[in-house]
Amino acid sequence: MVILAIAQQTIREAFRRRVMWVFLISGVFLIALGPVFGFLSPKDSQTVLRSLGLAAILLAGLFTTIVTCIYLIPVEIERRTIYTVLSKPVQRYEFVLGKFLGGFATVFVNILAMGFVFLIMLYFNEGHKLPTEMVKGVVMTFFQMMLLAALSIFFSTFATPVINFFLSFGIFLVGNLSSVTDSLTTNKNLGVRLAGNVVHYLLPNFGNFNIQNSLIHPTQEIINQGVFIRNNIIYACIYSAVLLTLAILIFDRREV
Amino acid sequence: MAAAISIQGLTKKYVDVWQKQEVVAVNNLNLEVEEGEIFGFLGRNGAGKTTTIKMLLGLVFPTAGDANILGKPMGDNGIKSQLAYLPEETYFYDSMTGWDLLDFYARLFRIPEPERSRRVKLSLEKVRLQPDAWKRNIRGYSKGMRQRTGIAQALINDPKLLFLDEPTSGLDPIAHAELREIVGSLKEEGKTVFLSSHQLADVELICSRVAIIHRGKLLKTGKITDLVAGERTEMVVQGKALNNGMLAQLKAIVPNISAEANDTLRLSSEDSSKVSAVIDLVRGAQGEVLSIVPHKRTLEEVFVETVRKEDGV
Repeated sequence: MVILAIAQQTIREAFRRRVMWVFLISGVFLIALGPVFGFLSPKDSQTVLRSLGLAAILLAGLFTTIVTCIYLIPVEIERRTIYTVLSKPVQRYEFVLGKFLGGFATVFVNILAMGFVFLIMLYFNEGHKLPTEMVKGVVMTFFQMMLLAALSIFFSTFATPVINFFLSFGIFLVGNLSSVTDSLTTNKNLGVRLAGNVVHYLLPNFGNFNIQNSLIHPTQEIINQGVFIRNNIIYACIYSAVLLTLAILIFDRREV
Repeated sequence: MAAAISIQGLTKKYVDVWQKQEVVAVNNLNLEVEEGEIFGFLGRNGAGKTTTIKMLLGLVFPTAGDANILGKPMGDNGIKSQLAYLPEETYFYDSMTGWDLLDFYARLFRIPEPERSRRVKLSLEKVRLQPDAWKRNIRGYSKGMRQRTGIAQALINDPKLLFLDEPTSGLDPIAHAELREIVGSLKEEGKTVFLSSHQLADVELICSRVAIIHRGKLLKTGKITDLVAGERTEMVVQGKALNNGMLAQLKAIVPNISAEANDTLRLSSEDSSKVSAVIDLVRGAQGEVLSIVPHKRTLEEVFVETVRKEDGV
């Protein structure tokens, strides 16, 4: 009940922020522009529409997640609203989880709204057929953002929003370069190899969630796609759980 | 009477990142607050009042010392259902209405419906927040309305012990008086109030005991009646048609006499029992007592004296 109450209040506060609507409307607008770009390239209109849609969802989702989650805990401390919450019978883990769930639900609603518009656009532009393959792309973006939300919440327990922004965004970028970091793990230079191992295995692997290419281009196929998606969803859940556990442990010792 | 709050050697030190500079916010504080009393916690800005309250509520952690609240160790989550806290500034979620805010806080106490709605209504009525404001956004509330909402959220769980940090600061005189009345009424309901305030006149009116803290150190604690009495009571007696012989006799009773214009004498004594003797003497000499004004020491005087003495001023 307490976690739910905090989560609901967090969603309310998040949607109050205009920037949230800017990201959502921008994302929907980009998706809606897909057919226009498709007309410019009639041969690849389907590819353009699909690429642009998934990219818009990813970008809008990325900014929504970071901008929502980096502020969730610091703003409560800065505005001192946390005093009237933690002075009540609220455990600190309930507060962190409530904040995470609220932020995550906000991202979920945004991705759901954009995903819905995206699928509707595809439905009407691809012969009234529901492109179920594309749903996988939206679902993977959703879990990628869940992992990013957990990462931002983790940093927000000890870092300022500005530092958190650079940390979260930086790790997201590095984490998306998993193919590069993977190649570093086999580098001849010991130092590079060690650093590559640390970066590749310790930082969250965001790159594995980018299955857009295989969904859009039939030539690029992921072997055992179902297992790959399932494993990545499990990976996102476990990694998020670890990050949230660490966040709780840090926040439990933090003075407010 | 049992102790609602029992503090033993509570200390809070802040050190900078390099462990070079140390600031002692609260220094070996020992204090007992009895159940059912309104206890005034006085001190200048930065004296350590808010830090003490925050330690008691588990918001910051003590460097040393311990405290029990309603028989449980401070910071114990279980006991928090019987506590209430009104921070110094009323920081709320502005996008919420007064009703929604209280409903949110009631949910944090795990109060189920329909009891929750009943409590929200009762609390808002108790602090006399106008019903037409209940469903309005807090953003549009005046300072007084926000403060009433703050006290309402503190009452939502029908607490045994309330920590109120400057509940009447910055209010207009009417709101000020009404909120003081509300805080004062909590004692009649058997609640214990730990009141941190700069409004010493308010404290003197509603508190039974006080503690004065300065630079984190407890300087004085006790009943207000004991603190303001005992050390110095000033009285002023004015009379006329008193000749010089009478003056000598009066001086024998009250040495501190000054002559003013129109045969008026001003007498000042630390012993209030001398008043009767002065009156008898003046009347016996066909004099007229114009006024007897007992100048009792105020809590403000005690506070200023205590703090200045500590500072060596």
